[in-house]
Amino acid sequence: MEILVTFLRLVLLSMVPFVLASQGMMLGGRTGVFNVAQEGIMLVGASLGFLVSYLTGFTVVGLLAAMAVGAVFGLALAYFTTTLKMNQFVIGYSLFFIGVGLSTLLPKIVIGITLSPPLVPTLQDIPIPLLSQIPVLGPILFRHNVLVYFAVLLSVGLWYFLFRTQKGLELRAVGENPMCADSMGINTVRMRYLTSIAGGALMALAGAYLPMVYTGTFTEGMTRGRGWLAIALTFFGGWSPLPILAGSLFFAGIEVLAFRSQVIGLEVPYQYLLMLPYLATILVMVLTFRKSRVPGFLGRNYDRERRGV
Amino acid sequence: MTIVRKVIPYVIAIVAAFAAVGIFIAAMGFDVGRAYQTILFTSFRTPNGFIQTLLKFTPLTLLALAFTVPFTAGKFNIGGEGQMIIGAIAATAVGIMFADLPLFLLLPMVIIAGIIAGAVYGLVPAWLLYRFGINEILTTVLLNFVSFAILDLVATGPWRDPAAGHPTTVTIGSGGFLPMLISNPPLHSGFFLAVVVAAGVYIYTTRTSSGFELLATGANPRAAEVFGVNVRRMFVFSLVLAGALAGLSGAIEVAGVHRRLIEGMQSNFLVLSLIIGLIAKGNNLAVPFVAFFIAVLEIGASAMQRTMGIPVQMVFIVEALVLLFVLLSDVVRRR
Amino acid sequence: MDKEPILVLKGIRKVFDKTVALDNVSFTLHTGEIHGLLGGNGAGKTTLMNILYGLYRKESGEIILQGGKIEIQSPRDALLAGIGMVHQHFLQVSNYTVLENIVLGTDVNHRFTMKLVDETAKVKELCQRFGLDVDLNATIDTLPVGARQKVEILKALYRGVKILILDEPTTNLTPQEVDSLFDSLRKLVDDGLSIVFITHKLREVLRVCDRITVLREGRNITSLDRTHASEEIFVRAMVGEKMDIEGSIYFAREGQKFIAVPREAQVALEVESVSLYSKDGIARLKNLNFEIRQGEILGVAGVAGNGQRELAECMTGIIPPTSGKIMLNGKDVGSVTKGAMRQLGIAYIPEDRLHDGFLPKATIAQNLILGYHRQAPYSDGTFINWKKVYGQARQQISEYTIKTSGPEEVGGTLSGGNIQRVMIARAFSISSALLVAHNPTRGLDIPSMDFVYKKIFERKSQGGTTLLISEDLDELLLMCDRIAVVYRGEIFGMLDRSQFDKYMIGRLMSGIMAEG
Repeated sequence: MEILVTFLRLVLLSMVPFVLASQGMMLGGRTGVFNVAQEGIMLVGASLGFLVSYLTGFTVVGLLAAMAVGAVFGLALAYFTTTLKMNQFVIGYSLFFIGVGLSTLLPKIVIGITLSPPLVPTLQDIPIPLLSQIPVLGPILFRHNVLVYFAVLLSVGLWYFLFRTQKGLELRAVGENPMCADSMGINTVRMRYLTSIAGGALMALAGAYLPMVYTGTFTEGMTRGRGWLAIALTFFGGWSPLPILAGSLFFAGIEVLAFRSQVIGLEVPYQYLLMLPYLATILVMVLTFRKSRVPGFLGRNYDRERRGV
Repeated sequence: MTIVRKVIPYVIAIVAAFAAVGIFIAAMGFDVGRAYQTILFTSFRTPNGFIQTLLKFTPLTLLALAFTVPFTAGKFNIGGEGQMIIGAIAATAVGIMFADLPLFLLLPMVIIAGIIAGAVYGLVPAWLLYRFGINEILTTVLLNFVSFAILDLVATGPWRDPAAGHPTTVTIGSGGFLPMLISNPPLHSGFFLAVVVAAGVYIYTTRTSSGFELLATGANPRAAEVFGVNVRRMFVFSLVLAGALAGLSGAIEVAGVHRRLIEGMQSNFLVLSLIIGLIAKGNNLAVPFVAFFIAVLEIGASAMQRTMGIPVQMVFIVEALVLLFVLLSDVVRRR
Repeated sequence: MDKEPILVLKGIRKVFDKTVALDNVSFTLHTGEIHGLLGGNGAGKTTLMNILYGLYRKESGEIILQGGKIEIQSPRDALLAGIGMVHQHFLQVSNYTVLENIVLGTDVNHRFTMKLVDETAKVKELCQRFGLDVDLNATIDTLPVGARQKVEILKALYRGVKILILDEPTTNLTPQEVDSLFDSLRKLVDDGLSIVFITHKLREVLRVCDRITVLREGRNITSLDRTHASEEIFVRAMVGEKMDIEGSIYFAREGQKFIAVPREAQVALEVESVSLYSKDGIARLKNLNFEIRQGEILGVAGVAGNGQRELAECMTGIIPPTSGKIMLNGKDVGSVTKGAMRQLGIAYIPEDRLHDGFLPKATIAQNLILGYHRQAPYSDGTFINWKKVYGQARQQISEYTIKTSGPEEVGGTLSGGNIQRVMIARAFSISSALLVAHNPTRGLDIPSMDFVYKKIFERKSQGGTTLLISEDLDELLLMCDRIAVVYRGEIFGMLDRSQFDKYMIGRLMSGIMAEG
């Protein structure tokens, strides 16, 4: 029983990077912007978030800085693709490279090359009064750091926004058929910019979660492919906020099994566990790929003056 | 357009990228001029520097081609490093298991093992795409991570070299060593092999009907299909060929450079090869030239870190910026 | 009807890259009139209206609405100014409902819950008033073309536009639906709207428009009251001095000589009990039985979406039929997997030229050999002889008047009409046992349409077999020996040339069986 409670706690703890990154991706995708720079943005968010937190001494400032740099990457993506009409994948990869490069460069400049990297205090848990006292459910659900609660609220909020409000209807139309949306007076350019910027901020925040909650420091490549997994998750979740939340729990569960098996008492050669998240993701894609509904104009740019298209 | 006019945007991009990073370097208090010199000229100052550049050029070229071939067909192969590692593992396995065989038997076996293993590892995402329609961007990347785990398994398993501090296997049989073109500084014949293969790929894509079908598939898969191209088979073929190329580079690294399997052998080849492929805009003729240029920068980067203490990532940022500026130059030209 | 101008466009100039699309064009719309904007494809009509609707930006010129100058930078501005547009290719979100499509972009009463009760009532009222009945809760992708057009019109009416632009609205309608549309337009005008009617069909414009402006090659040619002009004047205005109208096929009068198929002609294409079921089990083609003889042009009429695309793809071997046989000169088309076109000699001009037939990133030379890249004279099966390819390409560029700088030019820069010319050059350049042409003249200006008709007749006289699928009924009446009418995947009727009757075909197109 203890083990189950610990396991579920860890799952909720681990789902946050997936939720944040995937919702960020989903938001952009709903306006037709396919952001493959995820892994790079997460890394630069982790790196910068950690460094700012280390320099200022405040975790919150570090998180905000991470979101800011993510927003800048999102802005760049929007500018190059929506305004300059360049290929989304190629620009996404370019930003991925820059993100990866910056994420290892910045610590080397700020901290230099040391054997034992400095640590920052990790985010504290905030127990919700009363609710956290419930036996079993209390520790699992209501005794977490603020970003866990944020992830859940964000998902619900996005669902409501996209499917129950007028602006949400307009936003989705931009991704389904931007020519239609444009002809109805909707500002497709502004929509794409806003979702790219917000999406980038969320992705970077997802990255910053890793040092700020897990380890307290930044290590090269610490995202370990989570950015790519989040892309799969977005497809798997049908580009919808609530299925993505559910899917994140699943992915988190696999990750906990793989990386924290000692904590829950599993005895398997660790290399197999290392492969598990990635193979499981492939399996999930095989099972669900057919049914996933993708926004009609995903990955394609829209040029109002294009002739003959 | 003449050759000169085609090259100008690249030159401007390079200059701009260096300038951008140079400001950064100067702001940190380093001697910018010396940094530039080290980055650009280390390859040409000593015979060893030049050989090192060619040794880097070899895997970079093959891996970049492993990206550009599917790219021509409209598919993104990000799994070059996984395919390379699997190829290297197979090559090592054959090299160790049959260590007593003579050169004319063992070496071809080692190389072919690498090619086939890489091709098979490229077949996996290809089949997933063919059968289930799963996006290869994701599957190829995920399989990279799987290959790391497999590499760790092999390098810490029964073939492990107990004397090494880092997960590594014992050496393969000497019959598996690639003959050297020059012995000191060491340049193995894998370099020559890479150049020949690159030429072959170029001829294939530009002069054959099958290469035309590859191009048509990438330009508009629907139209290609309507007019008789078996598009789905082309996707598979391009990924399998890519895997074979990457697997070959893995085998060459084992047979020519390390003579064993070392964890971490893939280095940063993947991101570099992607940058090369994208700067070359998928043009197989441009790939070797861009690869050579990147190899020069990389050799210069390690020298710069060694002698001046500037992190190698600076050069990586230069390379990423070159890519960005090259892409932007297209936009400028359009207007 | 008071004839004061509600809208004046003065001196409009528009340039795309290096092409001048509109050169000092003017246009005046009076209150309460239906004004026809007439011209061949590429004349600039849609471009002019796209500028008015804010989709394109003009280089220079003025827009004066009700006496005051206005600037229109986006569709939002146009809508605010009371200008609405029904586009030729409907702009609708296919997985949204009709109601959602109509209110999209407007401020609804309950923004944060999306309860659309008030909006529903308002739309229903419009439906009743103008006779445009649609199920508001149906999703767009379940609706037929006629219904979707009603949705397009409702979108504009919902916003209370005073000026309505219709771009080629009759393209996909049966003759009966066209009549119904014209009735609705009259109702709209009686209610106070002013309408611009863009078309290239002269006869339509003479039926329903009060005044007509003709554009050609981006310039004003004439603006006349319908009662003051004759058909001849408009024809000459549309095509200019250079074209030989007497010898043209497009403007052929009744009684023009038509080469009938010789009685001894052999059967070339035999279609026996062919059915095609889609992946979800829906029947797209039902039990088709027909044959085409050598030297014959068989036309296929029908409203878009009744199986024409599936028919074209079955006949060309792209999709094998679920059951039945298609025999071309004795060989089974359905059994040849991938490459039926190449092996059996079938040429294809697809309807959706951009998606189904063209490689925008490839050069024109590469586009011209697509489908023929493994056979002589371009290839020996393995290697491509580029010299030969380029030589042929230059010849084709000249013969088919493809406007380009040369075979090495990248395809993506070509205009729609030129892309179509590439398709046609490709289809006619290598001899073929069967030509399947689906809307081959769409997007072409009148002289080019005439050229295509000439090429098809030339093929006919050489004994070639042609299957002409077209949504332009006039074209079929002009070109075909026989016309088959498809409705929901079935052949509802087959008429010989002697029996051609536009309204009878229209009834068949709507699914009304012929009597007797």
